[in-house]
Amino acid sequence: MNYAVLWVPGFALCSLQRHEPGLQGKPVALVTGEGRRAVVVEATREAQHVRPGLAVPLATSRCPGLLFRGRDLVAEQETMQLLVASAFTLSPRVECTSSGCVTVDLKGADAERTEAAMRLHVLELRMLGLPVQIGAGETPLVARYAAKVTDSIMIVRDRGGFLQPLPLSFAEPSARLAEILEGWGIRTLGALTTLPKAEIGGRLGPEGAALWERANGESPGVLTLTEPAKSFAASWRYEPPVESVEPLVFKLRRYAERIAAELRAVCMVAEELSLTLLLEDETDHLRQFRLPEPGADVDSWLRVLQTHLDSLRLDSRVAGVRLVAKPARPAQAQGGLFETGRTDAASFWENIARLAVLVGDDRVGTPVPLDTYAPDAFRMERPAIVVPAAEARPVHPPRGGLLRRFRPPLRVRVTCQGSSPVMVEGAVRGDIRARVGPIRLQGGWWMVAPWAFDTWLVELVDGGLYQLTHNAAGWAVEGVLD
Amino acid sequence: MPRSASIAELRTLVAAWEPSPLARGRTAVASGVAGLDEALGGGLPAGHIVEVVSAMPGGGGGLMVGALLASTRAAGKRIALIDATDGFDPCSYRPDHLRHLVWVRARSLSEAMACTDVLVRDGNYAVTVLDLRGVPVRTMRQQPSSAWHRIRLAGEQNPGAILVLSATGCIPAVPWRFILHEGTPLNNLGRTHAERMARLTLESVRSRDAVKEEMAG
Repeated sequence: MNYAVLWVPGFALCSLQRHEPGLQGKPVALVTGEGRRAVVVEATREAQHVRPGLAVPLATSRCPGLLFRGRDLVAEQETMQLLVASAFTLSPRVECTSSGCVTVDLKGADAERTEAAMRLHVLELRMLGLPVQIGAGETPLVARYAAKVTDSIMIVRDRGGFLQPLPLSFAEPSARLAEILEGWGIRTLGALTTLPKAEIGGRLGPEGAALWERANGESPGVLTLTEPAKSFAASWRYEPPVESVEPLVFKLRRYAERIAAELRAVCMVAEELSLTLLLEDETDHLRQFRLPEPGADVDSWLRVLQTHLDSLRLDSRVAGVRLVAKPARPAQAQGGLFETGRTDAASFWENIARLAVLVGDDRVGTPVPLDTYAPDAFRMERPAIVVPAAEARPVHPPRGGLLRRFRPPLRVRVTCQGSSPVMVEGAVRGDIRARVGPIRLQGGWWMVAPWAFDTWLVELVDGGLYQLTHNAAGWAVEGVLD
Repeated sequence: MPRSASIAELRTLVAAWEPSPLARGRTAVASGVAGLDEALGGGLPAGHIVEVVSAMPGGGGGLMVGALLASTRAAGKRIALIDATDGFDPCSYRPDHLRHLVWVRARSLSEAMACTDVLVRDGNYAVTVLDLRGVPVRTMRQQPSSAWHRIRLAGEQNPGAILVLSATGCIPAVPWRFILHEGTPLNNLGRTHAERMARLTLESVRSRDAVKEEMAG
């Protein structure tokens, strides 16, 4: 097999159903034309007795409750992008042949692996609401015929045997030629190709010769290749603007599915998602989500986005949405025997992302103390994928108090006898029974804002150990000592 | 069936109740605090909530967190700390004891509860610590008991233990509650953490067995 064709029957209607909530499983007809001239172009399986070409009033009488829709070109373009992105995972040589039809050049590809990948694609795309049919064969045209014949996947290995019984309509003869050939009793491709091509060309002209070539599965020219996506973004508008989360999430999923497929097509994942809500009052709400583990799993993205949307309160309705994924290379690491890994990696990163939505990106992670005596000096890091084995116990066991901080420190008034504090008043109050200090610390003298303060550890009469600091700004309680 | 008989049967059922088939036969996670592990029969029981009340400022809650960090680090497990008042001070602990920690710095009790609800469902953490010390009592009382019930049910379905540190006993119908008595005097700060830990007085005010007996009538 040299070529494969991914074909979606009823593409326009299928695109519409993917992008409009509430159309799945309903009788829907796609119409063209205005007023009395409006006729049905396509209809879903649920629209019983409704056939293409039927006038709208007649279709309504045949199927009460039938929903009529016009073509949605934006939805079609979006669905086409999904189909193309999916095709790029089979081969880098892809042609957008027509609406709902993509041709892939498979020359040089491993046949078994490609067949397995195609079967997987059929299942995946069907789960995304795209009932794709895949045909593969010696030429693009044979592959296309196969895609139209099958309801799932067909690989043509015997070209002659496959083409022989196919109806002549597969070769798309003009009405004039179809009538002539019908008069000759030629109804299948095989019947036409048994006649010599030169004789057909002599009697029916170049059009007849071209038809003979198509009936023989010969494709003219070469594929017009398309490029994989270079930016991973989607934007859409709502008319009228929406007020609830459901329609937002529905469309977010559809567009996220396409973006994820485009990322997978170029072997990339998303490390950051950027969601912009365009509001009715012409303001924007922008939120960026740093994904703890870069990935291209739409369900994980949606959980993060939905957690944020559920907690969001906006003053205005949402008129449009923009979703952008920042691409990154997938991380690869191998764990060691004594390291701390994750039981369930997917849920680990997913939940970290959800926590980041709840409290903020900078407030979730693993704390790393900085190498300084400056107060409260640490940075938050992304939790390690694999935590290395614990270090040996220190020679000197840890001593001293463990601080539970007040952030920011509580400003208090302190009464001193000499230089020693004896009473504290304010958010923490009481007489001081015992004290240790001052512990004088300073640093950053080489910087614009050097720091210096005295620290006192104090015990109040009614219990409780506190850490006080004193500097030019006054006294403050840093925290409680445990 | 006579009403008294049905109530008796119900009580018997409640007494014999186990949280869920998933939770049976699970191991405990050593907390690193000898008194607590002994009282719990080996450590923090997986799938359950244990509440430790540290009423006094400096009552030893920080020491307990330090012991738990060291113990889980040595055991090669992950730990999550949800800090309702953003009071945890990483600089007070050995940097190596923080490498397996996921610290969530909540801004309010509701944020902390929402984060706990997420983390107790995550199977990657051996222990989820919810530190509620410093949350005003009035705020604690406004928390509906259904929120705790939800966390308890979620915990039962997952392999991690849940430790709640609070200043007042706040969890309704918690299976185990301990009270840390008395603060450390200032002159004790010179001792090693292990020595101070040995002096911690833990009083068990509620245990699973007692709850069962109480409910069985």
